[in-house]
Amino acid sequence: MVELDLARMRRERHRKIVDTLDAEGVGAAVLLGQAAVAYAVGARSPAADAARAAHERAIAVVTSDGDAPHVYTSFSEGVPPELPADHVHPAVAVEWPEGAAVLADVLPDGPVALDEYTMPLHAVLRDREVADATALLSACKVVKTADELECIRRAQSINEDAMLAVEPRVEPGVRGTELSGAFLRRIFELGATGNTVDPIWQVMPPRIADGPYSATGDVVFPTPTTNRRLAAGDVVWVDTGIDYEGYASDFGCTVVVGGSEARHRDQATRWREIVDRCLDVLKPGASAGDLVRAAQAGESRRPWLPHLYLAHGIGTNSAEMPLVGTDLGIQFDDALVLAPGMVLVFEPVVWDDGDAGFRAEEIVAVTDDGYEYLSARDGGPRG
Amino acid sequence: MARRDVDVLLLGREGNARFVSGATRLWLAGTRPFAPGCVVVRETGAVHLMSVTDAGVPAEVPTRQLYPMSWNPANIVETVSAIPGVSGARRIGVDALTPLFEQLFAARLPDAELADGEAVMRAVRRVKTQAEIECIRAAISVAENALGAAVDALRPGVRESDLKGVFEERMCRLGATTPAFEGAFCVVDGDGRVRRFVSDRAVADGDLVAMSAGVLVDGWEGSLARTWPVGTPAAEHHDRRARWQSAWARAVDRCRSGLRVGELRTTPGLSLHGVGLGYEGLEDAAVLEPGTTVQLELEAAGVLGGDTLLVGADGAELLTAFPYGPGEE
Repeated sequence: MVELDLARMRRERHRKIVDTLDAEGVGAAVLLGQAAVAYAVGARSPAADAARAAHERAIAVVTSDGDAPHVYTSFSEGVPPELPADHVHPAVAVEWPEGAAVLADVLPDGPVALDEYTMPLHAVLRDREVADATALLSACKVVKTADELECIRRAQSINEDAMLAVEPRVEPGVRGTELSGAFLRRIFELGATGNTVDPIWQVMPPRIADGPYSATGDVVFPTPTTNRRLAAGDVVWVDTGIDYEGYASDFGCTVVVGGSEARHRDQATRWREIVDRCLDVLKPGASAGDLVRAAQAGESRRPWLPHLYLAHGIGTNSAEMPLVGTDLGIQFDDALVLAPGMVLVFEPVVWDDGDAGFRAEEIVAVTDDGYEYLSARDGGPRG
Repeated sequence: MARRDVDVLLLGREGNARFVSGATRLWLAGTRPFAPGCVVVRETGAVHLMSVTDAGVPAEVPTRQLYPMSWNPANIVETVSAIPGVSGARRIGVDALTPLFEQLFAARLPDAELADGEAVMRAVRRVKTQAEIECIRAAISVAENALGAAVDALRPGVRESDLKGVFEERMCRLGATTPAFEGAFCVVDGDGRVRRFVSDRAVADGDLVAMSAGVLVDGWEGSLARTWPVGTPAAEHHDRRARWQSAWARAVDRCRSGLRVGELRTTPGLSLHGVGLGYEGLEDAAVLEPGTTVQLELEAAGVLGGDTLLVGADGAELLTAFPYGPGEE
């Protein structure tokens, strides 16, 4: 564990991007995605619905010459103090042609990398050589510095503490929306900078065929929040995430309203065994494919949701590389070699059709010789 | 689509997808990179949606028009291209783009030209129906109730961050679990710029607290901004409020049908944008017309205030009705 130093964290992230740009022969990274801007500059914008976030977005331009990044934002109070004043600019409204032209004008000549276009920006950059910045940035983001790990640890700690305040309220008659209210109130009391996902309290059907419709034929998750009252015996899959200094947490667990029975505890035990099999092989040099095979060993069905993943990374995005067990395929998994500083949120699923199932999440970071928990909860999430 | 000569829309922005499909999908904060999560085909009139389930999806979008999400952009483009009417399209509107998707579209749909689908959606969404206005009113009612809870909590010692929590807790109790944006509940220092990020500062008797917050109810936004004193307002507060009020009254009065948006934006401290299924863009050249709903916000004299206005033929109707301060209507 380190003493959190945000300025050092930003300096080290910036250096990684500059080195990657240099290696790729790209003059600048132009970043419009808010998670990318948070990573590249550490500039904060309010957490907001996607449309507002797009219109009020901060934009970062990182150049390969190693100079401090430039940021264009309406929220100057969210800009890190060490950024030189002449690198902090008023927001440019790239939803409109005028703003897009302003941004195009400040870019260096030669190839640039961009994460996303608005359509006016697409129009003004039509004749430029533009690479996709997402892969480039992902390569920087996948290995976390010690300060980044500490931010994730703190985000996770706030998330877990808030869940402790909510859990006693999970009883027959309560609505998911009330649980969300208690959760959101608590995260802000505890110092979260934002909430990143609509809290999920999904009552699972005993059988997949009990609905709702499933396009994959497998378990459906997540579904939108409803006002439904929880009843005794309901199996509730919980999933929440918050933001701390730009970093996301991810907390998932299964709660049986009124208390779990032997079959629920058996599912939780099997879930633990799947995660433990993965942790047994988790060390630098192992591949994501090794984790996939460890999770599947001896299982009659694939123990995670086919439209999601066995595990995912987390950082300024709530799900980012390394993605493990997705439809990118086993070849992708086999080529993804784990290294110290990578973070994994394991979220396997145990499902007994007729008896619903168990899902929880466990967050670890790869270390020099294995892994460490980023969760303060001993032994991982509770069932 | 016919008027703008667009055969297919590939929509990545959630507000656009919600507008055409009525579907509720998982809400996440922040921008999301473009991926075609919703497809509209002019020839068939069909709306197709990326969703593994029909939970939250209206019956008008049958399950055969759902396609699964994917982490593999090539798979997404393959799935979308197989939708009837897409592969033969001449002009495809997209509401945003990434360099990777641009490449994949070019490879898989080489005969199609990409057009600005966001401009199409903006035009379609701008003027609201009566039913849509009722949805906005319902959202505003939740936002006002939740702001009321924050105002009730406005006592010496309460922290700014606590007020944000109080607002969101009440919002959830009223059935809405998604804020429109991260609320600001910030003590105003002097005549300086109003902060937008809460701190753990405790408010004190005599402070002015600027509050700006909003909710989404079934995707529709209700939001407002007010500045209230802690405890009994001082004479200085009345003076500031009066200065804000006169600038505000002038702005509201100008906000009527026929006004070019850019003209109003020259007012210092004023912001104006469309509102409906969340934030809606209004370009400077846009001219207000009856049925447009706008969010008007003014920061002046250290006072922040904002309301939702429905533009009518003879001026605008305030859809928000929360008091501007203690003892006011």
